[in-house]
Formats: sequence, structure tokens, C-alpha cells
Amino acid sequence: MAYRRRGRHGHPRSATRYRAGRGNLYTFRTRTHNICMVSDFFYPNMGGVESHIYQLSQCLIERGHKVVIVTHAYGNRKGIRYLTNGLKVYYLPLKVMYNQSTATTLFHSLPLLRYIFVRERVTIIHSHSSFSAMAHDALFHAKTMGLQTVFTDHSLFGFADVSSVLTNKLLTVSLCDTNHIICVSYTSKENTVLRAALNPEIVSVIPNAVDPTDFTPDPFRRHDSIITIVVVSRLVYRKGTDLLSGIIPELCQKYPDLNFIIGGEGPKRIILEEVRERYQLHDRVRLLGALEHKDVRNVLVQGHIFLNTSLTEAFCMAIVEAASCGLQVVSTKVGGIPEVLPENLIILCEPSVKSLCEGLEKAISQLKSGTLPAPENLHNIVKTFYTWRNVAERTEKVYDRVAGEAVLPMDRRLDRLISHCGPVTGCIFALLAVFNFLFLIFLRWMTPDSVIDVAIDATGPKGAWTHQYPYSKKRGENNEICKIR
Amino acid sequence: MSAQPGTSTEVKWQKVLYERQPFPDNYVDQRFLEELRKNVHARKYRFWAVVFESGVVVQQLCSVCVFVVIWWYMDEGLLAPHWLLGTGLASSLIGYILFDLIDGGEGRRKSGRTRWADLKSALVFITFTYGFSPILKTLTESVSTDTIYAMSVFMLLGHLVFFDYGANAAIVSSTLSLNMAIFASVCLASRLPRSLHAFIMVTFAIQIFALWPMLQKKLKAHTPCSYVGVTLLFAFSALGGLLSISLVGAVLFALLLVAISCLCPFYLIRLQLFKENIHGPWDEAEIKEDLSRFLN
Repeated sequence: MAYRRRGRHGHPRSATRYRAGRGNLYTFRTRTHNICMVSDFFYPNMGGVESHIYQLSQCLIERGHKVVIVTHAYGNRKGIRYLTNGLKVYYLPLKVMYNQSTATTLFHSLPLLRYIFVRERVTIIHSHSSFSAMAHDALFHAKTMGLQTVFTDHSLFGFADVSSVLTNKLLTVSLCDTNHIICVSYTSKENTVLRAALNPEIVSVIPNAVDPTDFTPDPFRRHDSIITIVVVSRLVYRKGTDLLSGIIPELCQKYPDLNFIIGGEGPKRIILEEVRERYQLHDRVRLLGALEHKDVRNVLVQGHIFLNTSLTEAFCMAIVEAASCGLQVVSTKVGGIPEVLPENLIILCEPSVKSLCEGLEKAISQLKSGTLPAPENLHNIVKTFYTWRNVAERTEKVYDRVAGEAVLPMDRRLDRLISHCGPVTGCIFALLAVFNFLFLIFLRWMTPDSVIDVAIDATGPKGAWTHQYPYSKKRGENNEICKIR
Repeated sequence: MSAQPGTSTEVKWQKVLYERQPFPDNYVDQRFLEELRKNVHARKYRFWAVVFESGVVVQQLCSVCVFVVIWWYMDEGLLAPHWLLGTGLASSLIGYILFDLIDGGEGRRKSGRTRWADLKSALVFITFTYGFSPILKTLTESVSTDTIYAMSVFMLLGHLVFFDYGANAAIVSSTLSLNMAIFASVCLASRLPRSLHAFIMVTFAIQIFALWPMLQKKLKAHTPCSYVGVTLLFAFSALGGLLSISLVGAVLFALLLVAISCLCPFYLIRLQLFKENIHGPWDEAEIKEDLSRFLN
């Protein structure tokens, strides 16, 4: 992800900065932040959270903040790496437990994280994804160290089964003293507020974004003699692959000129192959297997209609990408999807084969009668909706707000934990918070903050990346910053 | 941002993300959580219906109790094995006839199983158990009696835990449950005086743990009134049997039965008032159609 996009972010900064009206970068901002993004999920892993962290960090750097990213080591990829624009990434040697999420003991990561927070002079910890144990660990430690905390929730959760009851309790504990929470859609906000019993005032909604320059239409790539429906998703139950296996035979029998292109891999691929076998559709249903993010656009532009069959979705980036490529989107009406695109760009259906087939037939008849807008027009409308710069601007407002707030002192934090998380859980975690605090005092006694080297500042207003200072001068400057602090 | 500052007072908030709205990102509208639904799928329970359903649990507890009581009588030498064998065979025969009478032979027609097949499996089972009963008798000789008792208790408890009471849960496994009961019976049978005792004990275990629940299930489905009668009768005979051994045990067992059949339903209905099941647009959608038809 990072290396691939270097081309875009690597071009001279003066060129990318900026059209007027978008927050003047050259007028020096009164306040810049030292932000540390923490999540288990980052490049080389691929997905919505990963690209969110990367793109947001790049845009924040562009706006003059200092950003470092902390994640766990991916195989051979450990230690410190620098990405485009001096974005520093710490790959920490922590044990991965399940699904790329690290194991947590709530304590073992404190020495490492404290070291990073101190040497990077971090002021705001921004954790991502409720599935990431490291993100929650970092929030816990940051509060112990008296740093401001922000959390972004990227997923939706139910309330019915035992596992969600337990994870929701943990989320309540983790978020009850977090300064601010960001959700990616209004539905996600409602969900998070209920799950973690939060005051909705401290939850902001900032949608994800897509890079419109990555998803441009190309009408010449598609054959207009046939109709092509594109599906790009992981082939898993939650993405509604079972529904897809019902839609394909239904519509292929009805429309002889209809083709499917399906990109993505997963455990449910087998049922699509069975359907293809059963109805002899080998020439009309193409299964492409796993796609790299950069290839998605080339698949999308081959189609006329994009079909999304997800059963749950906080913010569906795939439909925005498809609409940006000029496809008519047909999607299930679940989670935050109705908020994402205006009604004239999307056909919403109930999550059933019947309703989705009706939606697709409507799209096909519109296509045949030529009433669908031209791909280029669609692209021009969609590209204004979601941009990373807008996301960064709005996230910055959250940081500004958070920086003005006081971090709860230890006694009030314990009160909050006990009063907010229920008597049993609250007391247990209050005790753990006390242990964490004692551990921190011990660590401070072992290696005082003053003996920890200050890291070379790569990004940020006085970053080594921005000004090509010679090393020695840079060092001297950094020391000055230390003294001021 | 696209909206003009002057119009912000009249602009209504929309639950959309694609438009830049003149509200702060942490704005909370009146419509916040308006799609929240509570207790959508909550069921209303009626007391006597729940009591009726609890009959399955009562029956199974009584089965275990009767089994242990019979074993005790055999162990003490108060019950002749021939007598138990005779009664067992007679009641099995009655049960077998009832089994077909209750639903007018419909279940048999559906399963397509012949009487000859039933007779064959019964014969095979009886022959093998009889043949192996000397082995069953000596199988656990080297194991201490306390261990055998402890194991039997655990196995019978396990039988009760995993038994298929009709709930759709992951823990339910009728195979495991039956196996545990048979294991317990083998353990207990090996402490009886002679191998004939062991044979009859294991046969009895099959009758009470494998065949009896099948008959009960059919009774419950087709003639609920007689099911209530049978359950009561069974419970009282189990209590009576226990009473002849130990008064304290009988009292405790009676309390347990009352608690399960009356107190637990009462609490279930009372606690329904506190139920707060939250539903909303964030729930994972359920696929309600039968999609297997596309593959068959």
C-alpha cells in the first residue's frame, strides 16, 4: 500500500498544497500535534483500517503535524521503517495471537510503548479498530501516562450473542475514560454509543474516504453488447456470498446477455464454484480470486453494474469506489450503507435473493433504456463526496478539541472506572489500572524520562523530512525543543 | 464546507455522510437512535405452558433416580434379577406397542423400518450383552469402588447436562448423553454380585435411558394429557422408591423437582420483565430464504 502509493504522495509538496479555501497551510497553524497512531492492522496487511491509517497520517503530515505509527511486527518486517514523507512506523516484536491481533496481558507492552511515547514526544494517542488488542493496550497505557486519547471504531457489533456481550463490556472499559471517539458512519456511532455506554457528545462521525484519482471510469474497457455485473468482496458469510449464489442462476437464466465478474477470495468461494458447475456458467461467471487493491479499479471498469451483498457494514468503501468508477450500484440496505451514497446513485434492496434480483433487474432495464448517467458524470459527482483531506481536516478538529481537555487524574479515573463499568468489572480494571500505574513508576525509576533519547523528528513542522537540515543542526534543534518542554 | 453559515439555523440535519452539513461532527440530533428497537423477538411465556415443558427435565431426573434406586436394591440383594428382567421385558413390550399405537403407525411408515429389523436389533443386543456380561462383571475389578461411584456420579450428571431437552443449543448432544448413561450403568453393574445381575442392569439402562425418552417424546407430542399423567406417576414412583431408601434424599429430591417444575418457570417469567434486547440497523442481516435449492 505504502510503497505503491508513493507516486502520488511523493510529488513535490508545493504542488499538492493547496487549492484556496481548504484550510491555509501556509498561514502557520497555531497548534500542531504529535500524534501516535496505534493499531495491530497496518501495511503489509491489507484492508480498510490499514489504508485509513496510512492515508489519514499522510494528510495530517501534509497539514503540519508529526505522526508516527505503531503496529506489531509482520514476519520479517520489524523494527523501524520510514514510509513516504518520513512517516515513521514502529513494528514492535509482540506476539500475534489471532487474526493478526496481538495477545494482551495489559502490562507487557507498557515498557515498549512508554519508550516510544516519550522519545517521540507524543501528545495524542489515536488507536484504531476495536478488534486490535494493541490499540486498547495503548489507550490504557496512555491514560496511565496522562496523555490524550482518541479512538476510531471501524466496525459494527451486535448485542445478542455471548461473544458480543463480552467484547462490548471490554469496549465499555476501554472507552469510558477515552477523550474522544470517532466513528465512520452515523449507524456506527449509534452502535458504539450503545455498546460502550458513552455520552454521544464525545463521539464524532468522520466517514472514510476513497482516493478519487485511483478510481476513474474507463468506458472503453467494457463491452456494451453484454451486461456485466461486478462483485468485489471477500467471499465470506458476512459479505453475503450465499445470497450471491442464489442471484447468479436466477438472473443468468432470465438474461442471456448477462455476465458476472467476481473478485475476491474466501471460504465461500466453493459455493460459487458449485453454482457455476451446476448451471454450466463457466463462460459467463468469472471468478478472479484475490485482488490487490491496485487491481480493483481495472476490474471495476469492466462492468456496468456493481453488486454488494454485505449482511453488515459500518461504511462500505467498495460501493463508493464502484460509483467513482461510474458503475450503477445495487446494494443491500444494511448498517451504514444508506448513508453513504445519495438515492439516485444507488439501488437499495432488502438482504434477500428476491429483492436483490428485483434491484438488479431495475438497474438492467435502466441500462438498456439508456437512462443511467454517463460514467464520467457519475465520477464527477462522487469524487466530491469523500476525500482524505477532508477527513484529516475534521480529525484535526477532534485533536484540537482533545488537546484542550484535561486528562483524568488517577483518582478520578478510578472513580470513573468503578462507577461506569459496573461493580465487578469496574473494580477489577481499577485494580489493574493501579498496577499499571505502579509499573509505570517502576519503569520511570529504572529509566527516567530524561535519559530516553529524543527521536529524530522526521515529519511535522520542524521535521527532518520537510527541511533538509544537516544532521548535526537538526539534532541541536531537537534538543532545544526538549528544553522548552 | 458547502453550506452557508447564514442558513445553518433552518437546515435540517440529515443522516447522510456524502453531504457536508453545517453541524459539528459530534452533533447529536433528536433522531439519534430513533431506529433502536427493543425486544423484537422476545417471546411471551405462559406459566403453565412453561411448567408443561419442564416435564422433560423432571422425567429425566426421575429416570436417573429410578435407575440408581433399582441398582441399590439389586446391590443389597432385595430385588431378584429375574423379577427385574420380567418387568423390564413386559414394560418394553407394552411400550413398543404403545409407540406405534399413539400416532397410528405414521412414524413407522415414514422411517420405513420393519418390525423384523426391530426384532433383529433387539436380539443382537441382548445376545451380545448376555455374552459379554461376565467381562462387564470383571472389567473394573482392579478399580476401587469409590472411583467407580465417583465416575458413575459424573457420568450421570453429564447425561443430564448433555441430554436433548428440545433446546437448540451447541451443548446438546444426545449421543454423548446416552453414552455417558450407558457408561455409568456399566460401572455400577460391575459392582453387582453376579454376571446375570450385570447383564440385567445394562439391559435396564438401555430401556430407561434410550427407549423410554423416545416413547415420552411421542406421548408429549400426541397426547399431552396422558403425558402429564405419566410424568406425575413416574415422579411419584421415583420419590417413593427413594423414600424407601432415605428420607432426607427423598425430601431433597422432591424439593428439586418442585423447584424445577414450578420455581424456575416462575422466575423465567418474572425475569422477562427485565429483558432489554437491543436491535437496530447495525444488526447483521439474516438470510431467511432457503438457498440450498439453487444447488440441488
